[in-house]
Amino acid sequence: MRNEVSRRGFLAGMAAVGAAAVVPGCSSGGGATSNVLQVWGGVPAASGPQKVVDAFQRKFPQYQVNYTRFVNDDRGNLKLDTALQGGVDIDVYFTYTQANLALRAGSGLAADLTDRVAADPDLKVFLDTDQPRAFLDAGRIKALATAREPYFVLFNEKLRERAGVELPHEWTIEQFRATARKLTTARTYGCYTIPDVARIKLGPNYWYDGDRSNFGDPHFEQAFRLGREMIADRSAFPWREVLARHLDAYQQNSFLTEEFHLWSTAPFNLRYLYDAKKYPHDFKVSFAPPPTVDGGDWNGGSYNNFVMVNPKSPKADAAWEFVKFWLTEGSGPMLAGGKLPTLGNVTDDQVVTGVLGKEPDKYFDVDSFRRVVLGADPKLSTDTRLAGFPEINLAYRQQRDLCWLGEKDPGPAIRDVRRLADAAIARTERSS
Amino acid sequence: MTTATVAAAPAVRTEKAPGISPRGWIGFLFVAPNLLGVVAFTLIPLISVVLLAFTDWNLVSGFGGISFAGLDNFVAIAKDPGFWNAAGLTMVYVGVSVPLTVVLGLALGIALNRPLPGRAILRAIFFLPYIVNTVAIGMTWLMLMNPRAGLVNQVLGVFGIEPGWFASSHWALPALIVMAVWGGVGYCSLIYLSALQDAPKQLYEAADIDGAGLWAKFRTITWPSLLPTTIFLLVTLIIGASQGFGLIALITAGGPGDSTTTISYYMYQTGFQFYRFGYASAIGLVTFAGVLVLTLLTWRAQRGRALND
Repeated sequence: MRNEVSRRGFLAGMAAVGAAAVVPGCSSGGGATSNVLQVWGGVPAASGPQKVVDAFQRKFPQYQVNYTRFVNDDRGNLKLDTALQGGVDIDVYFTYTQANLALRAGSGLAADLTDRVAADPDLKVFLDTDQPRAFLDAGRIKALATAREPYFVLFNEKLRERAGVELPHEWTIEQFRATARKLTTARTYGCYTIPDVARIKLGPNYWYDGDRSNFGDPHFEQAFRLGREMIADRSAFPWREVLARHLDAYQQNSFLTEEFHLWSTAPFNLRYLYDAKKYPHDFKVSFAPPPTVDGGDWNGGSYNNFVMVNPKSPKADAAWEFVKFWLTEGSGPMLAGGKLPTLGNVTDDQVVTGVLGKEPDKYFDVDSFRRVVLGADPKLSTDTRLAGFPEINLAYRQQRDLCWLGEKDPGPAIRDVRRLADAAIARTERSS
Repeated sequence: MTTATVAAAPAVRTEKAPGISPRGWIGFLFVAPNLLGVVAFTLIPLISVVLLAFTDWNLVSGFGGISFAGLDNFVAIAKDPGFWNAAGLTMVYVGVSVPLTVVLGLALGIALNRPLPGRAILRAIFFLPYIVNTVAIGMTWLMLMNPRAGLVNQVLGVFGIEPGWFASSHWALPALIVMAVWGGVGYCSLIYLSALQDAPKQLYEAADIDGAGLWAKFRTITWPSLLPTTIFLLVTLIIGASQGFGLIALITAGGPGDSTTTISYYMYQTGFQFYRFGYASAIGLVTFAGVLVLTLLTWRAQRGRALND
């Protein structure tokens, strides 16, 4: 009898073993750590990070670095969050969306970097709060932007010259619309979609007004109306096609096959335009700045690709060395992925060959690139107010889709965004 | 013999209760890996969901960030128009796709039960959608239902009909229902086929002698004998359709607007996009209760109506 185990006891034992196997994965306790510096980022290693890691290891042979790529989507970010929370050995990681930034910084998953930044003269630009390049949580620096992503409007030079349209050096949103209309042909839409009208006029935190949302501002409705009208007159890509073909993730293909002309985008998409093997095309691309809106000249782009240090990292000094290296000497290799360094510590020629490929003159109008991207000092915005951000983002996208499909008028659509955004802000601020 | 049997009985009872012999314990060890999986990936998450439904938690803040919310999440659900919209869409999705799948599956099962040339191949072809990968199905339908260049609209265009399908808030849910029915009919027909093989032949012979027609035989013999199978299919399909997520996530992401945001997808958005895990767990519990009630009602409706009852 003594050798017997009751059935209930056995099952309880199994439950305990199961719990023991699962709970550590959910706990906030530390997991197994190694001497290797663990870095998690969303950019594929081959698009620059591996070269940064190699260069770092050459300079600091005492450190070993392992770069792990996570896919920067909902599931990939959840994987990173659970890994951080579960005590997986991560020392340095990247965050690409403002909502995740606030969540991670506010939940104790980001080390306070204020003193380290303040102590380094090379990094004093991160202390600027007018055009912040760092994410501050309760006045403390929790994340540093490694890249700046200015927006611009790309022109297909072949089609532009054929249409007899001047390449604009500065223009308004009305001129953008008129240009798109001129460039519209029987087989090419004038543009993919419109620039972010409200962002250009209003700048950072444009969704918020005090403790409510800011969707009562007329520029939001103007954006919905403009997009809808341009789709209706074929000067913008039909939204039905965008949704049916999931085109948002593959805009470059339609630009390269000349389905549309004007493309409002950012440097990270330039890599498709010089890869003639994978993306063959027979035209050069030129650059224009984003149009202005009622005198508002915010660029629409932002400082982005925030690097953060895990506060639980036992290798905090090594992690900081790596962060600093990435921001300074490591920024060159990241140009290949279209990541312009926040610190601007690369020469213009390095940027041209890094971002536009080995034969920049073959695929691009380099003069316009120098003028628009290198010569200008665009006003980039970084949002610091993020209450209810994911809910507002979803509501905005849902109502925009309905409006641009022609199923809902701009006025009611933006009023619904406002209602949902107000509710999300109120709920978030109530629970925080 | 009698004495020996009587004498053996208490010995058997003694072995059964209350513990397990070392030999029996070894048997348990064989099933332990599977049991461990059930405990780790089903039982613990299940209990967690029930507990989390009464909390406010965003996952990222860790266990320390869990705060007790009492019934707040359930009160919020009652007032949440997004939840009720999703519940309504789920009812439409389940209410249309499940009966359609069953009816078409029954018709196909009966058709395939008859002697036909190439019957085995036909059965395999109709069953194929059930085993094909969801992503492959989604991508294929996405191309077929492209409003401008898809094959479906090329055909419908001849009759002057060109729905927007996944790019229309009016047509996206019907498109998903078409896909669900297409994917489930083969499975239903196969289950019905096996049930039809067991239908009592002597009753059909008696009916033939009595001069019963096809409809009379179906109504009085076939349908009552298939009733338990139908209930099984209804219950499993209702549960499956209520949890429908893969194709929605892949094709529409709940849109356009919120026209395909069913309960499962709404729960996913709430938990994994908004990081409101307590609220998402409460939605899960409420959904579970709803599906349970629906299942019990379906089960109750058939009692006493089957041929063998």
